Amino acid sequence: MKKPKVGIFDFACCEGCQLQLANMGEQVLSLLGSLRVMEWREVMSETWGKKLDIAIVEGSITDPHAVERIQRIRRRASVLIAYGSCATIGGVNGMKNNFVFDEIRKYVYGDSYAFFPTEPTKAVHQVVEVDYFIHGCPVYIPEVVTVLKAALQGIPYYVPDYPVCVECKLNENVCMYDRKVTCLGPVTRAGCNSWCINNGNICYGCRGMVSNPNEKGALDVLAKYGIPTSLVVNKMNMYNKCRELDEP
Amino acid sequence: MEKVVIKDSGYRLKKATILRTKNLTRNEKFFEIALKDGSSLDHEPGQFIMVSLLGIGESPISVCSSPSRRDSFDLCIRAVGKVTRRLHTLKKGDEIGIRGPYGRGFPVNIITGNDLLIIAGGLGIAPLRSLITYVLDNRRDFGKVHILFGCKEPKEMLFSDELEQWSQRTDLHYACTVDRADPEWAGNVGVITTLIPGVDIEPLRTFAAVVGPPVMYTFVIKELLKKGIPKRQILLSFERNMACGNGKCGHCQIQNLYVCQDGPVFNYEQIKNLSEAF
Amino acid sequence: MEDTQYVVLKKDRFEEFIAALSSMQKLVAPVAKGFGAYAFEEVTSADPIALNYIPTILPLKKYFMPQRETLLEFTLDRRSHAEAVVEYEPLTIFGAHTCDLAGIQCLNMVFSERPKDYNYLLRKGTITLIGLECNDYCDEYASCHLVHASFPSGGYDLLFTDLGDYFMVHINTVSGDRIVRTAGLCEGAGSAHMNELRSLRDRKRTVFRNEVPIKTKLIPELFDAVFGARVWDNLNERCLACGNCTNVCPTCYCFNIKDELDLTLARGIRYRVWDSCQLEPFARVAGGINFRKERSARQRHRYYRKFRYPVDRFARFFCTGCGRCTRACMADISLKETLSELIKESEERVWKKWL
Repeated sequence: MKKPKVGIFDFACCEGCQLQLANMGEQVLSLLGSLRVMEWREVMSETWGKKLDIAIVEGSITDPHAVERIQRIRRRASVLIAYGSCATIGGVNGMKNNFVFDEIRKYVYGDSYAFFPTEPTKAVHQVVEVDYFIHGCPVYIPEVVTVLKAALQGIPYYVPDYPVCVECKLNENVCMYDRKVTCLGPVTRAGCNSWCINNGNICYGCRGMVSNPNEKGALDVLAKYGIPTSLVVNKMNMYNKCRELDEP
Repeated sequence: MEKVVIKDSGYRLKKATILRTKNLTRNEKFFEIALKDGSSLDHEPGQFIMVSLLGIGESPISVCSSPSRRDSFDLCIRAVGKVTRRLHTLKKGDEIGIRGPYGRGFPVNIITGNDLLIIAGGLGIAPLRSLITYVLDNRRDFGKVHILFGCKEPKEMLFSDELEQWSQRTDLHYACTVDRADPEWAGNVGVITTLIPGVDIEPLRTFAAVVGPPVMYTFVIKELLKKGIPKRQILLSFERNMACGNGKCGHCQIQNLYVCQDGPVFNYEQIKNLSEAF
Repeated sequence: MEDTQYVVLKKDRFEEFIAALSSMQKLVAPVAKGFGAYAFEEVTSADPIALNYIPTILPLKKYFMPQRETLLEFTLDRRSHAEAVVEYEPLTIFGAHTCDLAGIQCLNMVFSERPKDYNYLLRKGTITLIGLECNDYCDEYASCHLVHASFPSGGYDLLFTDLGDYFMVHINTVSGDRIVRTAGLCEGAGSAHMNELRSLRDRKRTVFRNEVPIKTKLIPELFDAVFGARVWDNLNERCLACGNCTNVCPTCYCFNIKDELDLTLARGIRYRVWDSCQLEPFARVAGGINFRKERSARQRHRYYRKFRYPVDRFARFFCTGCGRCTRACMADISLKETLSELIKESEERVWKKWL
């Protein structure tokens, strides 16, 4: 089998998910044994510019230039992997969509803001077709490995369509709600092996919501714990603002 | 952690080789398969096997050939999931794993001596083909045989060569219909239930074997009951999500019944009150 | 005759006994996790063991059918090869309540039914079970008496009953006897001890009562009458479909099977993981149809798998009354309440028929 050619690209993001990849150490080396990395700005200076078997894309699409660039990458790549929350659900960049654009452009760029066009933040699949989603902020390395293996095998990877609670229970964590702490696990899709809760943190909803959440039920639960809905919506919007742009 | 190999494991695979493949439609492909150790699958018409692709997974598939052919068996596979899509890329000589056969098929020893009304909708012809070919191999043991076949469009018709042959035979009555015709279609147009009133049967000595998409069952059963066929003699085969085939994993349950072990073929009397069946 | 089956372990020798157990093979026992929660975890001394605990977050099934369990190992080179395997680790479980012992009895039945599940059965053979009787209710969520699980009825090698300054130990199996002899810390039980055990049981009979207003033997009949009840619609609105109730249930054993390759892509395993009938994809087929789309149908299925279906198959309930599903439900779906509401609704129907 010829080694697949891979390119790793970034858009609006903190590059933290690529850092996770670089941090994989031995695992990344054995996986890279099955891949040929042709472009990866974060760790190499070469560019390639031709056909790719796999494009791994971190970051969200936030301006017209990015739209053109992701479309070019899509045309070059047989398989496109949206990598990390910014790419898969818009992530924290989505918070921009809460504001009036001219005002924030002035705030960020000052008087010359007119030279810096902007657009509502979008997840990658809201601009071009995506073959694999690796959610998370940052991505969870075991899931990255699973998805890359699926891509190499040419089989689909189905992101778990059930809440983080499932994995959290299997890990036998004490429920955050029993500790009187608000946690987004019940409405967030699993696949991270409840990474944050295993380490004493709450779930921030960085993987996006399950496909068919019982919203009324969730509101009742919040009411039971005396948590204002607005608080949870705010928490949810930290990562998930861009879901408003998804087709119903 | 200690580890032992278990020869009796319900998850142990038998190796099998693909002898022949044929594209039946855009989505359905035919496979003739033989077990590698030369043994016979030894299934009953209507039973299914778990087809395994190592590293990808397993999928439950009905056997669509008669057990009277002992050195190989046939599968008809629709590409819908990750296992079945990959199966479609396999060719002659490739190896797969199988487990089974599983479940209860059509009770041919009980049907023997009676008339048989076979009703197939779409891919439902696959499990029924094992029954039909078995009956044709043992034609003398059965009374009158009627085959009714329906599908959405003529181009979705599976095993059209064989359907054509069956329609020519004098020892069975065959009729088919499509929901939507195309310009070349000269036959019946309409849902499969429209064929049932016209079939001439003696209800008390007739078994009906019905396989098709879930929506079909309620309407077909109604027509068959109108005909006066006893509930016990209406045989239905069900498709459900399955992981184990051993009556454990829970995915295939219809209320208290496990499709993989108690079915996939049930008589209507067994399941008439089970709302999860329909 | 009966007395030889009972020995006494003084509490001041308990620490030594646990040390002896832990020196024989890996030992697990209930341990406090904070916030009122407990879990079975490995212990090497008596110190962390919680003798007075409410049911642990996960039941004992995690040792009998682990969350993730290898079924098959395979290679994918040109001569691909697969072998069915079972992985196990000999283990002693100390402190299992009668509800959890009942849970294992249920799983034993399921996995012994043909076709037998040798992964479960082989592992089960390497686990020693030491029970710990409940003298009182653990909390208000338990409904163990309703399902005959409040008193010991087998399923253990040894059973400990706390009788003040000593434990009465019931020796139920030869391997239990071997442990007692090896440890050499117990003494014979006299008639005074037996009387104290009897009076505890007599007292328990006044404490433990059916927690839901129904005679146990009428439960199957109740469930025959309530398949179409409004109660299920109410659960539809409340259930978040998080699967907590089934994951923590001692008798829920549904699983899914998956394949995974190692990094060389040339070797791999097929393994099973716990699955839940409450989750959206559970009954969905590859073609897209979901045979239990509504949360109400999924919740109903869960209750019928506890109180109705196993009665036909195994002549017992698959609810052990441990109360875990209720404790773990964020939407406050309570097993006792649901049963009470079903009873109420079925009575309404009976009255309507008569009026």
